[in-house]
Amino acid sequence: MTSYFIRRFMLIVPTFIGVTILVFAVTRLVPGGPIERMLQEAAMAGADVGAATTSFGGGASALSDEQIDELKAYYGFDKPVVLGYLEWLSKVVQLDLGTSTRYSEPVWDTIKDRFPISIFYGITTLILTYGVCIPLGIVKAIRHKTTFDNLTSAVVFFGYAIPGYVVAIALLTAFAGNLGWFPLSGFVSDDFDDLGTLEKIWDVTHHAVLPLMAYTAGSFAVTTMLMKNSLMDNLAAEYVRTAIAKGMAFRQAVFMHAFRNSLIPIATSFGSNITLILTGSFLIEQIFNIDGFGLLGWESLVERDYPVVMGILVISSLLFMIGNILSDICVALVDPRVKFGSGETSQ
Amino acid sequence: MTAKAPLLNPLTLKQWQRFKSIRRGYWSAVALGAALLLSAGAELLVNSRALIVSYQGEWYFPTYADYIPGRTFGLDYDYETNYRELKGAFSAGGVGDWVLMPPVPYDAFENDLKSGVYPPYPPSVADRHYLGTDSTGRDMVARLVYGFRLAFAFAAILLGCNFVIGIAVGCAMGFWGGAFDLLFQRLIEILNNVPFLYVIMIVASVIVPGFWTLMGVMVFFGWTAMTWYMRTSTYKEKSREYVLAARALGASSKRMVASHIIPNTISVIVTFIPFSIASGIAALTAIDYLGFGLPPPTPSWGELLRQGTQHLESPWIVTSVVVAMGLVLLMVTYVGEAVREAFDPKKFTYYE
Repeated sequence: MTSYFIRRFMLIVPTFIGVTILVFAVTRLVPGGPIERMLQEAAMAGADVGAATTSFGGGASALSDEQIDELKAYYGFDKPVVLGYLEWLSKVVQLDLGTSTRYSEPVWDTIKDRFPISIFYGITTLILTYGVCIPLGIVKAIRHKTTFDNLTSAVVFFGYAIPGYVVAIALLTAFAGNLGWFPLSGFVSDDFDDLGTLEKIWDVTHHAVLPLMAYTAGSFAVTTMLMKNSLMDNLAAEYVRTAIAKGMAFRQAVFMHAFRNSLIPIATSFGSNITLILTGSFLIEQIFNIDGFGLLGWESLVERDYPVVMGILVISSLLFMIGNILSDICVALVDPRVKFGSGETSQ
Repeated sequence: MTAKAPLLNPLTLKQWQRFKSIRRGYWSAVALGAALLLSAGAELLVNSRALIVSYQGEWYFPTYADYIPGRTFGLDYDYETNYRELKGAFSAGGVGDWVLMPPVPYDAFENDLKSGVYPPYPPSVADRHYLGTDSTGRDMVARLVYGFRLAFAFAAILLGCNFVIGIAVGCAMGFWGGAFDLLFQRLIEILNNVPFLYVIMIVASVIVPGFWTLMGVMVFFGWTAMTWYMRTSTYKEKSREYVLAARALGASSKRMVASHIIPNTISVIVTFIPFSIASGIAALTAIDYLGFGLPPPTPSWGELLRQGTQHLESPWIVTSVVVAMGLVLLMVTYVGEAVREAFDPKKFTYYE
């Protein structure tokens, strides 16, 4: 088992190289990279001089050819794809993610600044999701096919069918745009630094309500149904039947026996949730204009800030892979019957 | 040789019965089918061209024909007839000429602007803009209907491509195992780890992606899900006795896979269809929302959502799209749930 997990961890390396080389190649092979972007901006800034006929990269642009070459060399765009990749990789191994072409500061610093916001949303979403879904799933399993179950099923189904970003847009339009109950965007108000402690807490909460609802809507349905179905499977199992047959109180049978075993599938989903915590959602952060990890990815893609794009990719793919392994470890921990590694080819 | 097996064997019939008995899923399937049929003939229902024009005793059917210049109907221009104005002119003329317009007399591309007021216009029965217009004065109903048709077609073709590749590769992985399996396992893991929105955005920033470019990128990253399930179920089926028996009788690999293993994994395949459609629609809408999808002025739900968030004071835009999308995805999911239950009925034990 240990050797299985060690093997899994070692397999991260080829996958990581595959993922990064794919995206790296795409960023390099597609024209219109960061240098062109910079030139474009420089040209736009200098447009008032009357240089409307300037073509980018030509001799008449704001920079001379040598300067462009220098810039390319500085950011490492002057090398062929494979060499460029190897250089990038050797830097990453030394924990150097390069320099952002947009902010001209280390990529790691840019990314690091966004983590607290994403972590705040991630952890709150996680607590909300499990805090609501587990009890709801239990009640729904025990009261299967009652009015309560059918009513909540309708809500759960709706949440399952509608993607989170559509929920986000609907909430934004209704409660922020038209009713004006919540702020339209951002993580905190502009005058956040001038507020008192209590007001600060209120401000964050006020801004967080809608995005949190959208985040939770995404994982809410799946987790609730998972909880309900696995508890019902366990309630139907022989050992619970035996417990009830020998006179154990129903409540006790549910909580002492069935409930504990039905948490196992929930543990499976834990690992992928860890990734969500740290990386957030691209779309939801974009919709609510929350300055987190996802929005950074979006902005750096739009601005062709490829070093940051690659940096985000490094972190998110590592988290994703480690998250997957962690959830398998979780499963192995809570369920001693699970044996990884021995039966992989006969699954 | 015995007679060929009937098209619907008893098991399939039973599954169909079970599917029909799940009323929610069955009626959703009926409603979805009706919506698809109607949207396939959307030109007859939502169109700026008239259904029938009766002019000087002759009947014209402009819907699917080439455009008819205005001069044909005695108007003073050579470009396409404006049938809404023609209708007004005819009814004012009182010579017995008439125009039959579709229920929603707008198509998805024309800007129906009024002088003095800027779009988006709110819903209005008098103007026959039943759900209002978008921010450039295009009819919401028309945008929604044609957008639905396009999104569904996109999702269906995407599903077809993903399934062909997924089933072929998945079966091969499960059947051959070994190095081939390992190689593709790594490949799938890599593709699963690449955020495909990134790639689409990078590609879209250079070329405006058309229908097929977008499809290509999405298939490139999308075939893996099906492959994984097919690999697992092929593994399972391969070690069953009937496959061993077929092998002992000298069946070729091709025969074992094509006529023994795939028919027995059909429940996995069928169960996947509705959910793949739903996720295809959701993904296309997300890309369109971000502005990296189908080029304008293609009618699309995502583009409408984008307009809606930019025009929060016109809530009918977001409301229409969210309700339409909610209904469609809900129905697709209901169908999916019913299909799953029909193929794999679960019986639960209740305590009182």
